[in-house]
Amino acid sequence: MADWKGTIDVSHGMSDDHKPGVAERLQRREEERLATVRRRREEQDGLDDKVQESLQSFLEILKFERLSLEKSLAESSTLERSKLIDHFDSLSLRVQKLQRNVSESALFLPPYELKTAQNVIVLLQSKIQETRDQLLPKKKFTFSKKQNKNGSGFDSKHTKDVEKNLDLAISKSASTKSDDDLVVEFAACKFVDRTSETLQKNANEINQKDIALVNLSNCTVLLYGAPSAIHINKLNRCTIFCGPVPGSIFIRECIECTFVLACQQLRIHSTTNSEFYIHVTSKAIIEDCNKVKFAPYNWKYETLEEDYTATGLSKQRNNWDKVDDFNWLATGVHSPNWSVIPSPDRVTSWKI
Amino acid sequence: MGLLTILKKMKQKEKEVRILMLGLDNAGKTTILKKFNGEDIDTISPTLGFNIKTLEHRGFKLNIWDVGGQKSLRSYWRNYFESTDALIWVVDSADRMRLSDCKKELHALLVEERLAGATLLVFANKQDLPGSLTAPEIREALDLNSIKTHHWLIQDCSAVTGENLLNGMDWVVNDIASRIFTMD
Ligand SMILES: Nc1nc2c(ncn2[C@@H]2O[C@H](COP(=O)(O)OP(=O)(O)OP(=O)(O)O)[C@@H](O)[C@H]2O)c(=O)[nH]1
Ligand SMILES: [Mg+2]
Repeated sequence: MADWKGTIDVSHGMSDDHKPGVAERLQRREEERLATVRRRREEQDGLDDKVQESLQSFLEILKFERLSLEKSLAESSTLERSKLIDHFDSLSLRVQKLQRNVSESALFLPPYELKTAQNVIVLLQSKIQETRDQLLPKKKFTFSKKQNKNGSGFDSKHTKDVEKNLDLAISKSASTKSDDDLVVEFAACKFVDRTSETLQKNANEINQKDIALVNLSNCTVLLYGAPSAIHINKLNRCTIFCGPVPGSIFIRECIECTFVLACQQLRIHSTTNSEFYIHVTSKAIIEDCNKVKFAPYNWKYETLEEDYTATGLSKQRNNWDKVDDFNWLATGVHSPNWSVIPSPDRVTSWKI
Repeated sequence: MGLLTILKKMKQKEKEVRILMLGLDNAGKTTILKKFNGEDIDTISPTLGFNIKTLEHRGFKLNIWDVGGQKSLRSYWRNYFESTDALIWVVDSADRMRLSDCKKELHALLVEERLAGATLLVFANKQDLPGSLTAPEIREALDLNSIKTHHWLIQDCSAVTGENLLNGMDWVVNDIASRIFTMD
């Protein structure tokens, strides 16, 4: 599974000084540069440091803090009443500190781990509140909204808000309904607003072009050729076939569709209940999707081989089952949003 | 000597600049970065996180940060703002359906305090696609003329053919240099 990752690559850029025989000098320069980078890191803003910080140690600190806070909390009942307020205040402060730590670590934390960490904090906060209410019943804590904003207070409503915000920040993103204020004509090569039709385009119409398929329902679209890029938006119960695309296919807001596609990148957003028979040379990604299923590309048409050759799309490399779910970055646990279509259930020959 | 002067001198000696490359997902950021660096662009996957590349260009050391643009990653962008000398905003010029998204995200960045003063280059990418909008059309759609807070330039380009990538980068470096490295 995928990790939130960064690659740091120090290279010579546009210069052409990779001549043989100077490998050693280059190596030394490389080391010097790396050393400078390291030094710079300290000088700069500490940001790069955070990038390097190990996820493991972060999780260990989090766990340690959680256990120690829980222990202190369990000891609350043994304390004198007069000391309780200070006791709870100091516990809250520690959780706040932890919270700040987590926020600052957002840079290198994979979204799933970030969410887990946030949940730990939410849980700790509510446990403290609960115990506090139990042991200090008279001084009942009701926080005003203002206090909550400052992060000093906590109640169960707040818990929900935090979780909601988290969900918003991590899995859902802002509504996509922002396209309305800007009306731009679609490109020349397109199918828009069609219902219950079979639509097709041939190689000379689509080769090396970019194509838009928008607002189609119950249609079958046959693209016999190799466009450079495709944008697909708002399809309902459609079946789409296309030859090899050397660039990306971008799909948004489709429901109950079947796609049979070959491309370099496949990006699927806000799509549900759909099947993808694909050939992807890099990786397919999904975001805000569910019930999407994958199988290998199996469409055949007359000039398919020629089109592969013309586009240079590698026929050998097919990562159809290596799907990155941007809402599910947990390592080792398969995303619940996508699956592989079992062999017996796959369509083997398309009746068109 | 003020702190700012010292900082400027330090940077001047190293001639090192920090460039942040952002834009919607699928805009072509990683492809631009790799093409500019002469690497293979056929194997690029959507960026799940970020890439940092340090490369030398015209005597400058460019630290280029390329951060993933998927919706679920955009809330992390702000983690990369600090000490940015230039922002390169990459646009898929053929993605007509998300132009207002693109405009909204860009203008949200421009009011960020930590990006104040940064040079802004807008790459109107994917010009090799026949359905792509031209640089003036993109300028209009993104309302670039309203930007008074940053030095900006829009440059049409294609990461696939490499066309105009160098022009854009040169402008960025020159603009930063004229701001920062003109001491003494
Ligand atoms: N035709 C054409 N395709 C391009 C161009 N630049 C990038 N692409 C394609 O567009 C797709 C997306 O490119 P990436 O570089 O992965 O985009 P990105 O901006 O890094 O996307 P994220 O990592 O998700 O933020 C790939 O399939 C590229 O091959 C271009 O200039 N012309
Ligand atoms: Mg990328």
